[in-house]
Amino acid sequence: MLELRLVQGSLLKKVLEAIKDLVNDANFDCSSSGFSLQAMDSSHVALVALLLRSEGFEHYRCDRNMSMGMNLGNMSKMLKCAGNDDIITIKGDDGSDTVTFMFESPTQDKIADFEMKLMDIDSEHLGIPEAEYQAIVTMPSSEFARICKDLSSIGDTVVISVTKEGVKFSTRGDIGTANIVLRQNTTVDKPEDATVIEMNEPVSLTFALRYMNSFTKATSLSNTVKISLSSELPVVVEYKIAEMGYVRFYLAPKIEEDEDENETKPKV
Amino acid sequence: MGIKGLTKLLADNAPKAMKEQKFESYFGRKIAIDASMSIYQFLIVVGRSGTEMLTNEAGEVTSHLQGMFNRTIRLLEAGIKPLYVFDGKPPDLKKQELAKRFSKRADATEDLAAAVESGVKEDIEKFSKRTVKVTKQHNDDCKRLLKLMGVPVIEAPSEAEAQCAMLCKSGKVYAVASEDMDSLTFGAPIFLRHLMDPSSRKIPVMEFEIPKILEELNLSMDQFIDLCILSGCDYCDSIRGIGGQTALKLIRQHGSIESILENINKERYQIPEDWPYQEARQLFKEPAVLTDEEQLDIKWTSPDDEGLITFLVNENGFNSDRVMKAIEKIKAAKNKSSQGRLESFFKPVANTSQPVKRKEAEKTSKETSAKKSKGGSGKRK
Repeated sequence: MLELRLVQGSLLKKVLEAIKDLVNDANFDCSSSGFSLQAMDSSHVALVALLLRSEGFEHYRCDRNMSMGMNLGNMSKMLKCAGNDDIITIKGDDGSDTVTFMFESPTQDKIADFEMKLMDIDSEHLGIPEAEYQAIVTMPSSEFARICKDLSSIGDTVVISVTKEGVKFSTRGDIGTANIVLRQNTTVDKPEDATVIEMNEPVSLTFALRYMNSFTKATSLSNTVKISLSSELPVVVEYKIAEMGYVRFYLAPKIEEDEDENETKPKV
Repeated sequence: MGIKGLTKLLADNAPKAMKEQKFESYFGRKIAIDASMSIYQFLIVVGRSGTEMLTNEAGEVTSHLQGMFNRTIRLLEAGIKPLYVFDGKPPDLKKQELAKRFSKRADATEDLAAAVESGVKEDIEKFSKRTVKVTKQHNDDCKRLLKLMGVPVIEAPSEAEAQCAMLCKSGKVYAVASEDMDSLTFGAPIFLRHLMDPSSRKIPVMEFEIPKILEELNLSMDQFIDLCILSGCDYCDSIRGIGGQTALKLIRQHGSIESILENINKERYQIPEDWPYQEARQLFKEPAVLTDEEQLDIKWTSPDDEGLITFLVNENGFNSDRVMKAIEKIKAAKNKSSQGRLESFFKPVANTSQPVKRKEAEKTSKETSAKKSKGGSGKRK
């Protein structure tokens, strides 16, 4: 038995819009601590990790750990039918092959039930170790989205370098090159407009802009975005979801050819 | 060739062990390719019309070079790192099979002569394809071409599939690509078919995983090898009347060929008198392969422009503009930094949550699979 009541239903709508283009099908895992999802894109380059902690729900009941396979495109279609102010309740039963989304208008005068078929999804779950990152950049999410969009009109990849001077986003393409440097800036009126750079070591990594642009679909979830970089790890682009959780995108860097000479066999 | 009917047997009995994959999804992967099989395919299809094939000025066939050159560039452009493995000396057990192929070719040569006389075009093409044989010259040409392209080449002491499987088992490559199902019997953990098919045919790559096959069939690797021998392999005859399906049933029931021989009705099934199944099994389990680190020094290097032009344009009459463009492509593919994969950083772990659906799925698998296909319509589009 599963019953999760989320007063701010629009959060779930936004989460789906943020991830549905990256991942087609995914298993949602429910446990007593929260509602989560981990899924890779089909080429195994990017990964989404979503967590909505149980405390963030008005009512949260999950009797045993369950995993529900859903097609995110279909789920998004259903959630689009919910109003932005609606309260969304997710309901599921043991042994049932459907999940129900209930939408209640804030005035309680309209209640809609949408039942969706679940699917069997054979997906790999990756263990993501806690890591110390060499550099962490926190910046306004809209600024990050703008940078990714602008750079992708020039080139396909972005080099993100963090140094003492600041964080630099650069690209090159057939028509030319572009460099955008952001300096640390904490003297702003609103804390969410600040750019904060925590650096232990300088780091420089290359990523495919196509994926970065896809991540920025989550911009509406949070005013700020946190980008964690280490030379030995995929980048983490994290958007906090109100007080209740996060959506994190992991992206494997592009590898320079000569570094690749030692076999990087996937440890399967 | 290979194991008789194994693809169908697996499709019927271990569907989950086979996955269709996009060609593009193998970027960044090192893949061992059975060269002889590819060369054979090129000789059959590339630039053929009737008995006419692509040739250079001296009249020597160049279809294999054309095929190898273009197909390898396609792999490189997709970010795949190919490694070609050539056949060495065939094992003694294969002599019978080879003799059979030889006589088939001889028949085809006669048929071809007859067809040329009667002038039926379809027949000429059909029989001409059947006379195709990969010669040492073809192999040497391709080796030279690949080395000039900067693509590594390995000569197997014996069967190429066995060497490929060993490379894959030891983690030197991600997968083995061949059309020969033998690769699975040799234990290649991940085996790809149709990787080398022309892109125009739009056939997705079919990926087989040995651990999943064994799990789905509920067999051990030794039993799987026995199953392949019973189904019919290149190294010994099979028992008349026993095909893949029966073989699977018998192996499940009795566990090994020895035990099957003790138990089956010998009147009904005639065991060949000289049936070296034990030797065949030995060949699959411990084939002759190179394991020496130094000989397996696998490196992808830059192409040799001048060498390629001398070889392809001057010696084999390739169009020089096309070759130049192709060399540019190889270089571009080489310079492009390749996209990393998440699995290189994070390891898979077991998921603790119970799928809600699967419990029921076990009880009424048919019903749910029907439902699933509806529910999953988005995925299957």
